[in-house]
Amino acid sequence: MVAEPTVQELRALVAEFQPQKGHVMPALHKVQETYGYISRAAIEAVARQLNTTPALVYGTVSFYSDFRTHKPAATEISWCSGPACRVLGGDRIRDAIQHTLELPLGGQTPDHSVGLHMGQCNGTCSEAPQVWVNGAVVGNLTVSSAISLARELKGQV
Amino acid sequence: MNARLLTLTSDAKAAWASEQASGRVRINVCLDTSSVAQGAEKTIAAMRAAITARSLNAEVGIVGTWGFCWMEPTVTVRSAAGTRTVLYANVTADRVDEFLQKVVIEGVDIPELALGVVDGLASREIPLLTDHPFMKGQIRRVMENCGRIDPESIDHYIAHQGYEGFGKALEMDAEAIVKEMLDSGLGGRAGGGFPAGRKWDFLRSATTSPRYLVCNADEGDPGAWVNRVLMEGDPHIIIEGMLIAALAAHADEGYIYIRYEYPLAFARMQKAVEQARAKGLIGKDILGTGRDFELIVFLGAGSYVCGEETGLINSIDGYRGMPRIKPPFPAQAGLWNKPTNVNNVESYANAPMILRNGAAWWSSVSTAKEKGTKMFTFSGSVNWAGCVEIPFGPTVREALEQYSGGMREGKIYKGFQPGGPLSGVVSGGLDLTLTLDPYREKGMFLGGGGLVFFDESVCVLDMCMFFVAFCEDESCGRCTTCHGGTQRAVEILRRIQAGGGRDGDIENFNSLVKTLVWSNCFHGQFAMTTIKTALKEFAAEFHEHIVEKRCRAGVCHGLIQYNVRSQTDSQLPAAVAICPTNAIAEERGQFTVNDGLCIRCDACREVAPNAMEVRDRFAARHAAAAAAAGG
Repeated sequence: MVAEPTVQELRALVAEFQPQKGHVMPALHKVQETYGYISRAAIEAVARQLNTTPALVYGTVSFYSDFRTHKPAATEISWCSGPACRVLGGDRIRDAIQHTLELPLGGQTPDHSVGLHMGQCNGTCSEAPQVWVNGAVVGNLTVSSAISLARELKGQV
Repeated sequence: MNARLLTLTSDAKAAWASEQASGRVRINVCLDTSSVAQGAEKTIAAMRAAITARSLNAEVGIVGTWGFCWMEPTVTVRSAAGTRTVLYANVTADRVDEFLQKVVIEGVDIPELALGVVDGLASREIPLLTDHPFMKGQIRRVMENCGRIDPESIDHYIAHQGYEGFGKALEMDAEAIVKEMLDSGLGGRAGGGFPAGRKWDFLRSATTSPRYLVCNADEGDPGAWVNRVLMEGDPHIIIEGMLIAALAAHADEGYIYIRYEYPLAFARMQKAVEQARAKGLIGKDILGTGRDFELIVFLGAGSYVCGEETGLINSIDGYRGMPRIKPPFPAQAGLWNKPTNVNNVESYANAPMILRNGAAWWSSVSTAKEKGTKMFTFSGSVNWAGCVEIPFGPTVREALEQYSGGMREGKIYKGFQPGGPLSGVVSGGLDLTLTLDPYREKGMFLGGGGLVFFDESVCVLDMCMFFVAFCEDESCGRCTTCHGGTQRAVEILRRIQAGGGRDGDIENFNSLVKTLVWSNCFHGQFAMTTIKTALKEFAAEFHEHIVEKRCRAGVCHGLIQYNVRSQTDSQLPAAVAICPTNAIAEERGQFTVNDGLCIRCDACREVAPNAMEVRDRFAARHAAAAAAAGG
């Protein structure tokens, strides 16, 4: 991740994309990959490049759960909401993590150190119940091990 | 056969043969999302480092999964002479040194880690892999290359009859390809079962151009990962299937739409497309035939309804992925309002072998009405979470006992859920077959291949809450019946779970079941299926929750209570310490649970099973009712 981009940098970043070619999502992915999130300025830059309106681009951004309009936290916990995790106690784990971190799903600690959001099943169900910490699986959790993990990330141990 | 394709094939086969004759021990590590989750990257790094450091006569490659997804990293070892290959499981990085010592330096087997002999002779200690209980009854066709070839090498694919089906199709006219597909009886593999050949014919008969092909790799049903296995294990089989479809339907451009949760599958498919383009199999003037076909790999961004074909099309178009109102159907107006055909990953992946070996060969394996093989993934309260390819027809009992290793220790079987959040739940049902009809008869569907087994510790109302809340979260918002209806269902469920169930709740649910079917797309139409089927299959549990205020599984928050059972148990301090809400507190020498703070997360009981207990919140009332009934 890099510093806040200028409008010129954003325009240069998406200059390869063209209108009416299915480039809205690829452009947004490129912005998020580069800067970690999609800012207001980025939405305007994409709209300008693709000859459409910021309203339409924002409509697309807000529809998908993996587009972010704010900076990610330093440590992102993604809780797996899948059914294998659920039948093995995943929802209790969610509740316990949320209360430990004092965060809703989609929330961030005020110092941006830890973020929590809802992840979707990717089929690593042998590790259920699980969370991903910055993309890496932490699996075979119990409620108590999940609480310990959350406390550790919060710096409470 | 096309001359350029023949050259590609003979070159690839020669390269493969020389690889096999390297005189070195060949170690192939499964590198896919499941194995990475279990440390495959560390295994590979440790092996490469050790081989270099110790100058071992061995080389390390990567392959897709054999389906043993619960015991990754799996590793095949081919002997230096190339005559024997053994598959091993759980080869984690800490085992690498000992592993290499035995299989490379001493040249001996490791029976305790072995799953079976893939090629060559079985030994007294290691049987053939095909005799492994998990492999029995499986017929590996679309998965044939998974575990055997490097998914990032087009030459490996071509050396294994890759693009041969496409070569045959190049010599046929479009009608003949469609006929072969129709004769095979291949039905849509996402669960609809609609004949793939018919769909291709719709596009072939379209009157405008350009025409588009879409491969739906949005596999959004949680608990299903069959498409991921294929994309990560053998991406070229999907490309070849799409190339064949392009010939059959005169398509100009194709999109493979992959969900955001599958970054490795996305990378592998992109790489495969680039390789195919470099070999002249994609792009302008394919293999000198004068035909053009472009293929683009497209990444989603997290939306379940984009698995609905018109939602997916809107997503590629750059809009919110809201399903469209049909008609017009995609075959008339799809991508950019041009004729478009959408098939599932597995549907396309079957086309190469139908063309290569003929429709009669292809349809001969299944005794069921549905022809061919189907990939399934099994998970939940079972011992194994793996991926299989079987002919349609085995029972759920076989899926549970043979392919999932039975229930986990201490778990009593309760039921299963096929086909994702829209499909519904079944109580028992072990004698149902893995075919389409038994589920259709129940108003549900078999779906894309995921089956989730659950046990008696799972509350069926909580399962309903899970799936309906999922549907609420993923509703696109177009139809009031869907976005409002799912919200309403969640509210009612939440109230019942909190202990506020009341007369009329069942009628409320039934009325929602009836109104949601008016929704525009499958998502809304089937969002209430879990509740609809659960009301039938688990009627007693609804009665218990709503009328008796009892949750037999001890899950629903308002119907249970945590309590300190033993003030003297040595583990009680651990329970106090782990509680995330500080609900267990001491007052005048006695520890009690503050019910208002307790979130019923069960952590206390995990760490101090003898100190803490979960109780029926209305136990006194239930006892009085029982006494009254008895008297």
